[in-house]
Amino acid sequence: MTLMAFMEAMSTSSFPLIAAFFIGLMTALSPCPLATNITAIAYISKKISNGKKTILTGFVYTLGRMFTYVLLASLIVYVGINVQTISLFLQKYGEKILGPLLILLGLIMLNIIKLPSLKSGEKINKIKEKLSEKGYFGSFLLGVLFALAFCPFSAVLFFGMLIPLALKYSDAFLIPSIFALATGLPVIIFAFILTFSVSKLGKVMNKIQTFEKYMRYVIAIIFLLVGIYYTWRIWF
Amino acid sequence: MEDKQEKCGCGSSACHTNKIFFYGFIIIALILLLVFVIPKYFTGNATDSGTQISGDIEKIEIYHFHGTNQCYSCKTVGNYAEETINTYFSNELKSGKIVFGHINGDLPENNALVKKYGVTGSSLWIGTYYKDGKFTKEENTNVWYKINNKEDYMNYLKGIIEGKLSGD
Repeated sequence: MTLMAFMEAMSTSSFPLIAAFFIGLMTALSPCPLATNITAIAYISKKISNGKKTILTGFVYTLGRMFTYVLLASLIVYVGINVQTISLFLQKYGEKILGPLLILLGLIMLNIIKLPSLKSGEKINKIKEKLSEKGYFGSFLLGVLFALAFCPFSAVLFFGMLIPLALKYSDAFLIPSIFALATGLPVIIFAFILTFSVSKLGKVMNKIQTFEKYMRYVIAIIFLLVGIYYTWRIWF
Repeated sequence: MEDKQEKCGCGSSACHTNKIFFYGFIIIALILLLVFVIPKYFTGNATDSGTQISGDIEKIEIYHFHGTNQCYSCKTVGNYAEETINTYFSNELKSGKIVFGHINGDLPENNALVKKYGVTGSSLWIGTYYKDGKFTKEENTNVWYKINNKEDYMNYLKGIIEGKLSGD
């Protein structure tokens, strides 16, 4: 049995939660979510010297994805909005916005674009500091946003397989949640690997802290590259 | 001792309470899920929408819907479908019993078809017209798992179409 045959068998399993998990895993491995997950991994690894934080940030990112998927599924299953309307809308606009947005974020991180300092600067600075310090809210938002970016194949998996499943069981909570967990799994696993390999290094901690300074630039460049990838894919 | 406190990093009692709330919330949410949601997955099949009505088939439409900018997998799904039909169903194609088309959903002239099938993106759909005027449609998502193996894909789709033709 090949891997794809296995994935197919599991994704069409008669147990909806198992099916949801494997549809999610397939999504995680498809091109677009893979790119967003790599970006997320870069983002969460900026504070690798604090292992617990890295792992939690990975989970919060997945929670962000969960929020979006549950919301979309709820709109369809409970509110009754047409699947087609939502799907076509997101595919039309979601991707188009994501690329330029990632580029913008990358440029802000590189300080090429400076955010205008408003008059109530102190308050905003405090919020900004809190966000970048904790990083939880940021990674939650990243998850929410990235989950909205549907490429053709991930749209098939979500709107063609997962949503029919959610409709069949009239469940817009658990099925999308399990799906979301699987889509964020690579990030969570990577966060664990990162944390344990870093904590093993122990003594080179000082070097890691120096490394973190450069990490910001690495992350910014990854944002830029992924942003360019999306923009190129959609607009050209 | 001091070292330990620093390591914790979050020593204030407010933070501690927050943490308790956070974990407490997660645990309560999980328990609620277990109690209210999970049992329904084990109480047999929910409404099954997949029942087929057998009867005399008038014709079958196989459409590959796509956007103007196609991804690699999207093209493959369409091309293999076309090849399957040309290879195994050329007679039905000539007689009009099978209709195949690549439909660009972005073009306004295809709006009606996109609406009729309820297309949500790049996809392969099979529509069946019965002699009594009934029409059923079905998206096939399994083909996406077979694009790495052309032979598998073609054999699979051949089986599906043969089934439809015999009124399964």
